[in-house]
Amino acid sequence: MKKLLVIILLFLLPFTTGCWDKVEIEQRVFVTEIGIDKNGKEEGINKMTVTYQYPNINNIGKDSGGGSSNFLITTESSSVFQAGRQFMTKVPFPFYYKHLKVVILGNEFLKEENLIRVVLDELNRDTKINKRVRILAADTTAKEIMEASFNKEQRTEGTIYATVRDNRNTSSYTTKSLADIVTDFDIAGVTLIPRISLDEKGSFVVSGGCILKNYHFLDWIDPVENKVINLINGDMVIETIDVIYEQNLISYAISETETRRDIKVDDKITADINVQVEGYLQGYTLSDKSSIENDEIIMNMEKAIESEMMKAARRTISHMKEVKADLIGIGEHISKYHPKEWDKIENDWDDIFSEVEINLNIDVKIRRIGLTR
Amino acid sequence: MQKKNVISNNQIKNLLVTTIIGVGILSLPSNIAVVLDNDGWIAVLVSGLLIIPFILIIDKLFKMYPNKTIFEIGEEVLGKFIFKIFLIIIAIYATITLAYSIRVFGEVIKAYLLERTPIAVIIITMLLATSYASRAEIEILGRVATMVYPILLALFIFLFLINMPKSDYTDILPLFNADFTKLPRGIMVTIFSYAGYEIIMVAYPLTDNRKDTLKYTLRGLFIVIGIYLAAFFISLSQLGVNQLKRTLWPTIAIAKEVDLPGYFLENLDGIVIALWVLIVYTSVGPLFYIGGKTLSYIFNTKSHDVFILPLIPIIYLISMIPDNIISVYDEMGRILSYFLIASIMAVPAIIFFAALIKRRRRRT
Repeated sequence: MKKLLVIILLFLLPFTTGCWDKVEIEQRVFVTEIGIDKNGKEEGINKMTVTYQYPNINNIGKDSGGGSSNFLITTESSSVFQAGRQFMTKVPFPFYYKHLKVVILGNEFLKEENLIRVVLDELNRDTKINKRVRILAADTTAKEIMEASFNKEQRTEGTIYATVRDNRNTSSYTTKSLADIVTDFDIAGVTLIPRISLDEKGSFVVSGGCILKNYHFLDWIDPVENKVINLINGDMVIETIDVIYEQNLISYAISETETRRDIKVDDKITADINVQVEGYLQGYTLSDKSSIENDEIIMNMEKAIESEMMKAARRTISHMKEVKADLIGIGEHISKYHPKEWDKIENDWDDIFSEVEINLNIDVKIRRIGLTR
Repeated sequence: MQKKNVISNNQIKNLLVTTIIGVGILSLPSNIAVVLDNDGWIAVLVSGLLIIPFILIIDKLFKMYPNKTIFEIGEEVLGKFIFKIFLIIIAIYATITLAYSIRVFGEVIKAYLLERTPIAVIIITMLLATSYASRAEIEILGRVATMVYPILLALFIFLFLINMPKSDYTDILPLFNADFTKLPRGIMVTIFSYAGYEIIMVAYPLTDNRKDTLKYTLRGLFIVIGIYLAAFFISLSQLGVNQLKRTLWPTIAIAKEVDLPGYFLENLDGIVIALWVLIVYTSVGPLFYIGGKTLSYIFNTKSHDVFILPLIPIIYLISMIPDNIISVYDEMGRILSYFLIASIMAVPAIIFFAALIKRRRRRT
């Protein structure tokens, strides 16, 4: 009798398990990229055109059926997630946002402060979305860029994401995640996100940046300016700089940078920024005897590189002052190290920033010269 | 006393750490940042240190009345009637704290893991599971705590390690810039995170080595303070102060934001929450036990386990009163803080001073 009871109880076990939230993995649609554009229409609440990209699950693995590796789908909508609901009439399975990697904002959309606030809040509030989702600014519509890129390579996570994911190989743009952008706006009210555009052949290029200030578009910057900003912020990764030195081209590869800020707040704010750059010689010129005979040549090379970098830096700083965008963290530094003074100037920081005296000093060292001299 | 129901000092330490750390750890950095900005850690530290005198009081009390439980001491010192009023306050406190903890637990699980599961199912399953542990004696709770303790430590060490490379530690600056008139309010916020230390009132007399108990208890408290401070600093340096204030549960948020070079570590919120369930289990279990034990002394029953199951529907109903998570934190938290101060600070202090006066009278 007892045995029978045990057996019955054992058989009952499977019925005691259960899960409301069970969704099989092949019955989810993993959104990897979202593009948001401004909808031209003035009326109605559908102010955005939202584009989703999701991988073709059937095309993964050995016995893939061929066909495109990703799908694109577009609708006019009032918000990012509302679009997902609207797609439900066309897509068989519900969308799943946990693996969303890239959000592209279209050029017209970037000018709409209210819409950007809505989208950032929506993404920031959602429990599924990873706050490290990369955000890019398109200089055309986001939809065009996604159309150009979505079937480029057989990558399920999207070619754009593969390009911007690590950003350890170039400083022409600065990868920014949702969390970074929210924090940047909190601290300085201004942020820099990578610019994505289309080249003549119709493939996408990530290069340069877009300054957003107070949640709307301010200006574009070019890759050189982006490099300078990265250099000053200490985010510089391996990067090569070309300089003409005695009619020959020097390729100087930066391997390490260190920035020290020293900001004095008196009647006038002076910011002394010292940047230490270390790197190696990537290429010079092959001559009959050794082209680097002595230490002096290296020192002169360093000077030439310094002056070249300073030229770019001066241009960048004056550009930043002109558009009143503090992208090099001076305000943040003051708020952290001189909190009392910051309370007084915080509200007029935009105007004060363009008056700040910035003394940039770049110190270049060529530490290694490769295998030949 | 039964020989069986004995607990080692190490178990007391583990019990203390796992009971104190519960649902509070998720929201503490954000709640305190709202009051004191970057300097929230001061309130965390101060309110942790505030607990020390009460631990000393409890230690002294058990030295004055060796081999007696807190209930026997209370009855002897205060008289049956007054002490029963105190016990009723403690019972109400335990019930509301349980309701609060379990509601927050349900909300977190629903937000991150089980979107469509009704919250009633989450809460009742958790309550049933904890009731199993809390029907047992303190010795069993000590063993459960000892099992969960390394998991808890490992979880937080892991969380801090993976967040280290990407944190901006200068976010802690400016130091000492907050408005310190708000410090008392900040302490009111953080003191709730130290609720649960009263488990030592029950565990203390059952120790097998009376000499070192105080040492282990204080060590446990310092571990808790350390974990809380680390949680605050790491979430502050990862999120920045404004985003920290905005986030409901920053400790999970930082687990979700992990993105190390190398593809495989992403979206760790699932793992963190799964382990956090264990932490909540060992935090709710002892509180449940205290609730049952108090009720059993009020009604003079032999064992406390008869009260555990009937408490479940009561806790469930109370936990369902607040309409949303904001009112759980604001309104329920405010009501709770009065009961909290009454039962974990005032009651031991009153018993102690009454005992002192009584003793002095007897001598003269």
